[in-house]
Amino acid sequence: MEISLTRTDLFTLCVKAVGRLDLDSAVEYGQAITDAMYDSDEEIRELMLDFSEITFISSYGLKVILELYKKLKENGGSLKIKNVSEEIRKSFNLVGFNKFLVLE
Amino acid sequence: MFKTIRLKIIVLSLIMLAVLISAVACYVGVFRMKTKQLMLQNYAFSINSFVQQVDEKIIRAEDNSKDLALIGSLFYRTDRSIPLTNNAIIKIFENYENSLGGGIWFEPYAVYKDQKRVCFYAYRDKSGNIILDDDFSSEQYDYHNQSWYKEIISQIDKEHPTAWSLPYYENQGSKTTMITVGTGIYVGDKLIGISTVDWELDSVFQEISEMKPLENGFSFYETRDRIKGSFSLFASEKYNYIIVSDDPYLDNDALVGKTLDNIPWYRKDLYDITYFKYHGKLYTPFVKYTNNDMLLIICVPKTEMYKDINKFTLHMLLFLIMAGILIPIAVYAILNKYIINPINKLTEIAKKIGNGEDVEIKIEKPEEFAQLASTFNKMTDNIKTFTKDQAKILSELNIAKQIQESSLPNKFPPFPDRKEFEIFASMEPAKEVGGDFYDFYFIDENKDNFIFLIADVAGKGIPSALFMMTAKTLIKSLAKVGYPPKELAKKINHKICANNKHGFFITMFSGIINLKTGKAYVINCGHNKPLIRHQSGSYEYMELDNNLPLGVFDDYEFNIHEFNLEKGDIIFTYTDGITEAMNNDGDLYGEQRLLETLNYAKTCENSQEIVSLIKNDIKIYTNSATQSDDITMLCFKYLGENSVKVYNEVAKKENYKSFCNWLHSNLKEWEISKDLFNDIDMCSEEIFANISFYAYPEKQGMITVSIDKKDDEIIMVFEDSGIKYNPLEKPDPDITLPPQERPLGGLGIFMVKKITKNVYYERKEDKNILTLVFDCK
Repeated sequence: MEISLTRTDLFTLCVKAVGRLDLDSAVEYGQAITDAMYDSDEEIRELMLDFSEITFISSYGLKVILELYKKLKENGGSLKIKNVSEEIRKSFNLVGFNKFLVLE
Repeated sequence: MFKTIRLKIIVLSLIMLAVLISAVACYVGVFRMKTKQLMLQNYAFSINSFVQQVDEKIIRAEDNSKDLALIGSLFYRTDRSIPLTNNAIIKIFENYENSLGGGIWFEPYAVYKDQKRVCFYAYRDKSGNIILDDDFSSEQYDYHNQSWYKEIISQIDKEHPTAWSLPYYENQGSKTTMITVGTGIYVGDKLIGISTVDWELDSVFQEISEMKPLENGFSFYETRDRIKGSFSLFASEKYNYIIVSDDPYLDNDALVGKTLDNIPWYRKDLYDITYFKYHGKLYTPFVKYTNNDMLLIICVPKTEMYKDINKFTLHMLLFLIMAGILIPIAVYAILNKYIINPINKLTEIAKKIGNGEDVEIKIEKPEEFAQLASTFNKMTDNIKTFTKDQAKILSELNIAKQIQESSLPNKFPPFPDRKEFEIFASMEPAKEVGGDFYDFYFIDENKDNFIFLIADVAGKGIPSALFMMTAKTLIKSLAKVGYPPKELAKKINHKICANNKHGFFITMFSGIINLKTGKAYVINCGHNKPLIRHQSGSYEYMELDNNLPLGVFDDYEFNIHEFNLEKGDIIFTYTDGITEAMNNDGDLYGEQRLLETLNYAKTCENSQEIVSLIKNDIKIYTNSATQSDDITMLCFKYLGENSVKVYNEVAKKENYKSFCNWLHSNLKEWEISKDLFNDIDMCSEEIFANISFYAYPEKQGMITVSIDKKDDEIIMVFEDSGIKYNPLEKPDPDITLPPQERPLGGLGIFMVKKITKNVYYERKEDKNILTLVFDCK
């Protein structure tokens, strides 16, 4: 999976990945973000996930999202997802993620 | 009536024989009658001649007495010389050797007035000497008072001077039966005396009694060959006096001199009758009177008299009977030997030849049959040659039939790797080669378009078969070019018209099916209406525009029907050999029965079974009636593109990518919505992961996934042989909880339950089977 991580400011990590978030890639995706978050000297407060190139999200992808969300919340941070396609939005709705996720 | 020649000939010969026998019998009868008459005449003639002899003697005796009377007259008129007279008497007797004695007797006192009795008498002694005897003039004898004298005197007159006395027995002199003839001696009208001649009757009797009928008349003094049992009677009717009789039933000696009443068979009219019955026997009387009124009757027993002729008749009869028996036997034997046996032999051999045996007839006699036999043999040879030719033609016909049959596709299933359709066809040819055929093949290189057709060439026999082969090849070559259906029909028709000098035409039903889409183009060219069954429906006849048969008109515009086949649709086609199959009553099988039989088994999904079902029903219907036409059927079932796709790999996470590729490539073909694509993607990932991670905790195992699209549903089935696990039993996560409290797992199964139309778990044969049903709408 092609993942690009960009620090847009001191506290914000912007993640753009291409492809599917599924059994095959979700763990890799989550690990890459977590590593990036803990590698930095400054604590990441805001995670911005760009889903413009994500075509599919499976339950494993959702699980990774929930994990990230939980981690950020513990540190008082926040998670934002932008450019969500209709299909993925539907998936979020299905499992009730729409209630806490901020979709831009 | 008389059916066989033998009987006819026998009856005819019997009739002829009967006619012949009756003719012979008639002839014998007439001959017998004539012979009898002749015999009677013969007998009568013999008796006549005998009586004539007697009469001659009588005349002699009368002449004798007349001579004596003349001497007496001379004595009276002359000088009455006694010695001269005696001398004359002796001389006379010497002339009449039969006379026993005789004399001249004058009336009382006629010669001398003082002498009452004057007489002369002479007799013949035993040695034949003539002795004069004058004892009779004695007083004691007194000849005037003797009966014989009185009798004669009383009978005579001048006109009839001669008379006969009664026979009498002389017991003084000769002691024999005597009879006396006397002649009156007249001087003027005055009777002066009589002359007498004594006649010994014994010699006459002797002659009579010795006179016995022989087989051919009468014979005297003959002792040989007399007819047995004949007897005679000699009598005087005038004096009612029996002279002699030799009746075997009577005491004849005592009868002499008695009246005729003592003869029991005697009657006055004997002269007129042919037979009389006496002591149980029939006798023929021959009756004859002598000149001196004496009666001679000779009786001959009828049986004896006709013994010979009867014997002859009997022999003739026996001969006829023998002939009557032997001739039919001979005719029968000859008939058998020369006619019936050869005929039977011919019949037997003809039978053998009829059964196909190779037999030669050998008859040498009679010539007619020998000729017939050789004709027969010639005929047999001809038949043999003919049969051989016929057999050759037949075997060639059989080969033609085999070629024809083998030219039709007969390997089923014909395309085992194709799941989009099922086809089965069968042709049961009638005895003769016929014109039915069917065919099917792909018409494009991608093998997406399939054509099937069933057709019937009008007519039977080799010409139809040849035409059929041509038509079949022609259609195939044109169909594979790739013309649009309507144009294809036109081209085929055109070619068939062009190749058709003999006016053949073909009825045909054909369908071109796009196996991917189910699009169907069907055409009916004067053929029997096909039947269609939609999935889980009933069979019905397809109402299509009926075109002219192929080969009738060039440039004919064909009407083609276009419709979509749904999965599970069945088209059943057939030829008129089915609807026109006849039972023993001559009733046709008919469209109605075909429809009913198909609908009876409308749930039958196998095309081969459907064809067998109809075939059996026709067999039941026609019973043992001969099949007159080819029975051909073709059944096509559309199953749609082979939608079931299967993925089978080791269940591990690393295979997810390949699984994904398999799934996506399949889903893309179905042109489904993005949403559905997403849903399926999500659900299948969850189940795949579950199996990969948990099904085989100790060793590696397989996962099998199949996906199929049916109508409005996509069905996915996941199978594994791992530990028993029903993911649906897992409780749903509470999605209303705040995110911090929500567990990380359990989302996948929950999503599956939410997304799918239906999901269910089975444990079968140590397998976990999870079926997911998605709605395509």
